[in-house]
Amino acid sequence: MRWGTFLGTTVIVALIILYEWPKMKQNPKKDKMAFFSLLLMGLVLSMFNIQQMSGPTAWIVTFFKPFGEFMEK
Amino acid sequence: MEKGKISSLQMAVMMYPTIVATAILGIPSVTAKFAKTDFWLSPILASLMGYVTVYIAYKLHKLYPEQTVIQFSEHIIGRLAGKIIGFIFLFFYIQITGIIIKEYAEFVVDSFLINTPIIVIMGTMTVLCAFVVQGGLEGIGRAAQLFVPLFIFPLLIAIILVFPDFEFKNIFPILGDGIMPPIKGSIVPGGWFTEFFLMTFFLPFLADKKKGMKYGMLTVFAVMITLVVVNLVVLFVLGTTTQTKVYPLMNVARYISFGEFFEHMESIVMAIWVVGAFVKISVFYYATVLGTAQWLNLSDYRLVIWPLGILMIVFGFWSMPNSMDLERFNLETFPIYAVLIQTIIPLSLLVIAAIRKRKSKRNSKGINSG
Repeated sequence: MRWGTFLGTTVIVALIILYEWPKMKQNPKKDKMAFFSLLLMGLVLSMFNIQQMSGPTAWIVTFFKPFGEFMEK
Repeated sequence: MEKGKISSLQMAVMMYPTIVATAILGIPSVTAKFAKTDFWLSPILASLMGYVTVYIAYKLHKLYPEQTVIQFSEHIIGRLAGKIIGFIFLFFYIQITGIIIKEYAEFVVDSFLINTPIIVIMGTMTVLCAFVVQGGLEGIGRAAQLFVPLFIFPLLIAIILVFPDFEFKNIFPILGDGIMPPIKGSIVPGGWFTEFFLMTFFLPFLADKKKGMKYGMLTVFAVMITLVVVNLVVLFVLGTTTQTKVYPLMNVARYISFGEFFEHMESIVMAIWVVGAFVKISVFYYATVLGTAQWLNLSDYRLVIWPLGILMIVFGFWSMPNSMDLERFNLETFPIYAVLIQTIIPLSLLVIAAIRKRKSKRNSKGINSG
């Protein structure tokens, strides 16, 4: 948990909501759902120490390991 | 969803920096690792990948003229499977855009702004590109038209100024170890050339659709020529030491000393890099945003610009503690990953679509004659 990054991201997310909300008031519910869930995803991920965490990129690197070994030679 | 129209020339000037921008900086040394002094041949072989990808993208576009890959994959292989393919594409583009932003920032931090935190460089570039994407496809097209000359001219000037330092004999021996080393060297640039599949997001919005294929092929050719010239310049100046440099073009720019007045031309490389990366990131960003909005059936793609920006930055950092990991990813994973997503999946879609079309034609014929 890194509070600095998390707090920074929270401020940015709040600014994005303030900036976009007036424009999207009349939009269908689906749009708002997508907007907020994507923001929430970013916010949640910013809580972790993401650089050291195993994630999709690391899995893909492992998945293509045989090719990587071929390129190493 | 997208009401703007661009010309095929604008598409070409958008695609050109999308491939060249990052390829001229890091690729020469990666290719030189495999191909030694023959690394200038590798882009020629790698460009085959580009021609194939453009051909596939255009053929798919012909079958479904008004749709992007996110939409027509649902038509080709059914709703659920199409959504899964769409998700794979979006995931790939979000991840790759994040990694490109990281790559851009890493070069700036390594070479110029040593004490600036990397998140500041990444953040400012993302904000800038987000505003351009908000301007829509026409906005990106015009920005690219405006900035691409600023990308090409400094490059030409740098090549002319470094001319006195050329050692033409560095090119020998040509094919000293046979044809295999340049072929292996072309694998990594080949991954870059598959990025031409991004055309699929622009082809539906062309004002002159007939020229789409022609300009696409021309862009691949222009990219190939640029990469060959840059690789030759690097080879003539640095020779066999190319493979030990991280950013060979940067080292070449340091050689410039013309009339004791033009010196320290690294800033030229920096200008090329920033302008190129700006267009490249905007194009990727736009494709991701438009694709996401189509995937979720949103009423406007502008809604997801900012949330996706945060996600991209997150992906730039995810499992990438330092610049070595980025380099390894580009060398060992990206070439095969990009070919799989941007060439093999579209090719299978095209084959399935062609078979289905033929089948339905035959069926309707059978009904008519029977």
